[in-house]
Amino acid sequence: MSKDRARIHFAGVGGQGTLTGTTLLARAALDKGIPVVAGEIHGMAQRGGVVESSVLLGGWQSSVISPGQADIVLGFEAMETLRALPYLHQGGAVLSSTDFIPPPGVSAGRETSPTLAAIEAAVRDCVAHSWFVPCRELAREAGSEQCANTVLLGALCATGLIPLAPDDLKKTMDHALSPRILSMNHKAVDLGAAFVNQG
Amino acid sequence: MSHHLLSAEPGPHLLLGNEAIVRGALEAGVGVVSCYPGTPSSEVPDTFRMLRESGRFYMEYSTNEKVALEVAGGAALGGAMALVTMKHVGLNVAADPLFTMCYTGLPGGLVVLSADDPGCHSSQDEQDNRSYARFAQLPCFEPATAQEAKDMTRDAFLLARETGQPVLLRTTTRISHLRGPVTFGPLPETAAPLVPFIRNPQRFVPVPAVSRLRHKVLVGNMEAIREKAETSPWNREYGSGKLGVIASGVARSYLRDVLLAEGWENEVRVLELGFSWPLPLERIAAFAGSVEKLLVLEESEPLVERDVRALAQQKGIRTPIFGKGGNLTVFLEYSFPQVREALALLLGKTIRPDTACAGAERELPQRPPNLCAGCAHRAVYYSVRQVFGDEAFYSSDIGCYTLGLLPPLAAADFLFCMGSSISAGSGFAKSSGKTTLAFIGDSTFFHSGITGLVNAVFNKHDILVIILDNGTTAMTGHQPNPGVDQRLLGEDCVHLDIEAVVRGCGVSQVVKVKPSNTKAMRSALETMKERSGVRVIIAEEPCALFARRVLKKNHDRCAFVAEQDESVRRAAAELACPAFACSKDGVSVDASLCAGCMVCMQIARGFTARKKDGQ
Repeated sequence: MSKDRARIHFAGVGGQGTLTGTTLLARAALDKGIPVVAGEIHGMAQRGGVVESSVLLGGWQSSVISPGQADIVLGFEAMETLRALPYLHQGGAVLSSTDFIPPPGVSAGRETSPTLAAIEAAVRDCVAHSWFVPCRELAREAGSEQCANTVLLGALCATGLIPLAPDDLKKTMDHALSPRILSMNHKAVDLGAAFVNQG
Repeated sequence: MSHHLLSAEPGPHLLLGNEAIVRGALEAGVGVVSCYPGTPSSEVPDTFRMLRESGRFYMEYSTNEKVALEVAGGAALGGAMALVTMKHVGLNVAADPLFTMCYTGLPGGLVVLSADDPGCHSSQDEQDNRSYARFAQLPCFEPATAQEAKDMTRDAFLLARETGQPVLLRTTTRISHLRGPVTFGPLPETAAPLVPFIRNPQRFVPVPAVSRLRHKVLVGNMEAIREKAETSPWNREYGSGKLGVIASGVARSYLRDVLLAEGWENEVRVLELGFSWPLPLERIAAFAGSVEKLLVLEESEPLVERDVRALAQQKGIRTPIFGKGGNLTVFLEYSFPQVREALALLLGKTIRPDTACAGAERELPQRPPNLCAGCAHRAVYYSVRQVFGDEAFYSSDIGCYTLGLLPPLAAADFLFCMGSSISAGSGFAKSSGKTTLAFIGDSTFFHSGITGLVNAVFNKHDILVIILDNGTTAMTGHQPNPGVDQRLLGEDCVHLDIEAVVRGCGVSQVVKVKPSNTKAMRSALETMKERSGVRVIIAEEPCALFARRVLKKNHDRCAFVAEQDESVRRAAAELACPAFACSKDGVSVDASLCAGCMVCMQIARGFTARKKDGQ
């Protein structure tokens, strides 16, 4: 994967801020003069469905990532990371939240979710780099669970896999987010980045 | 007012495709906007709504797409540049006036946005509305990037005003919902000046004698527009090589990406069709004649392909033509790997196989879209199943309430389109003799349910209609409709009382209930079950999301399980409320999800209420 051209597949559950995170990363790229296109599917998201979106850096024109074409999978929920894994080409990278949001069948006791250990094993089977980030916990430390999405973005920008650094993300936040939530989101980015840097 | 879409700064700005369309329309000088919301088109009118205080244009949410097109068409006759927006199936509703407008022309300039949905991300079909460009005769633009979405919208308006012919702007889900950089052009101070209406019944009143003449005018105008398409900058060539590709729509993007990724830029010559109807026939003929093989790349139907094949036959062009076939089908969306494979085959290349990660070893639990916690539709469906069970047949309609189709609610047996529940249910009951219920939401009732209700009364049908009145257009993002509370509509719109409309349609058996009151709901259903003819129950209760976000109504109570008994387990199974969690220890209620509707408490004595968060 070239550092300057990356296809990033986002996976999450409605209400997690996956689409907000998508737009934020795309804006950060644009602010830095990196060619960018992003894509999202709307509609059922707010009703607990799977949310899939994409950010493509470095000159792609289509916003769609097909199976086997993603360089990075960014999973905002652990089981959705596993579901999204076929989008990744072997040797790609995964950044995933360790948090679970149980789907209805699991809540109803009819089905079971895979364990985090099983998800990590499946991921490590096919990727060169993976990070499992306790996003909700770090977000609470930053000030609110609502920042779990920016924790993961901060982690992504600290990996060196894309031409954006945590500071680029924070600069974009300065004009993209409301001042009320800015400092906690800065902190969330820092905590996500620190998690990656500590290896 | 300041909004980034009104900015004088050229940018680039990161915009959703649908937002870029709004900016393009403003740059052209749009004066009137009408719509019926529908994914993936809804952000266009919703963005205009946010900008309406700029005073640049008039905008409305019309009651359906036909009405929206007629309002916009009338506005264009009145001299304004007008935009009407809808999803692809909406254009079926609006098709009748569309055809006539192409005959008469509209001097102010009308652009029709059709947002198509190949792959049925949120629709009942994959219809390709480029067919309407051919069928009704509308010039058609198909953007593939956010920048093009803005620029083509502007150019569509300029063409519509210059020629007086309505213009189709056709997007697909991927274009409406991509985000990309957009550099702005100049924004005029105000809307474009009105083109004064000159009374001319010999043109604008299409009685047969007029229509025969106007048909000829239309064909002449389209021929003149084809000449523009021949030299339009939106139909452009790039690359070099013996393989020629004619690409349109989103396929243009996949093609560019494949050429970039594989380094095939010098092996393929491309003709991109952005201004895709009428086809630039001379340009296509010259292009087709100058390559050794020709591939037509277009998602959905092989429309360009058929025209290119016909053209080749007519002009004696012997170049082999490829299009649909192999991995390029009419189904779903095209993709980067599909286009790469098709090109590789024609170029005689081998491609490295993709090495996708394997993913899960077993099928993962799904996340089917579900009715929200506290959704009144769940309360209705629960009571309906208690009273009618599988004895009755359920004619559903389009809205959130369609999500009641899955068990345990299982409240949808058939569905055609917006507004079909009452009329399709009437026909079903007539032929089958089965007890039939129709479910229809408030916005859908105003969209096209009323005519079905009038028909049911007029023709003495036997149907129980349940109007699920949640006070908003919930599915598409809480747009206004005539049923919305007057206090929320503000001064620009007038609330219509659904019960008065129903009675005005001649229905005498009408009752209004609050479905979260399960006793009242059940008794209304039992009463109506004993009767025959056209009966209407108006189940009135605000959408739970709308109540929280817009009405700022938060229940201070939530349910919790006081006693794990059989009633609790049964209620959890029969309601399938997303706030419930079941485990080997029993049922629990997630207080952060519980909306406090207390339906569970009424049907199972093991539930009780408590204040939320120590309130």
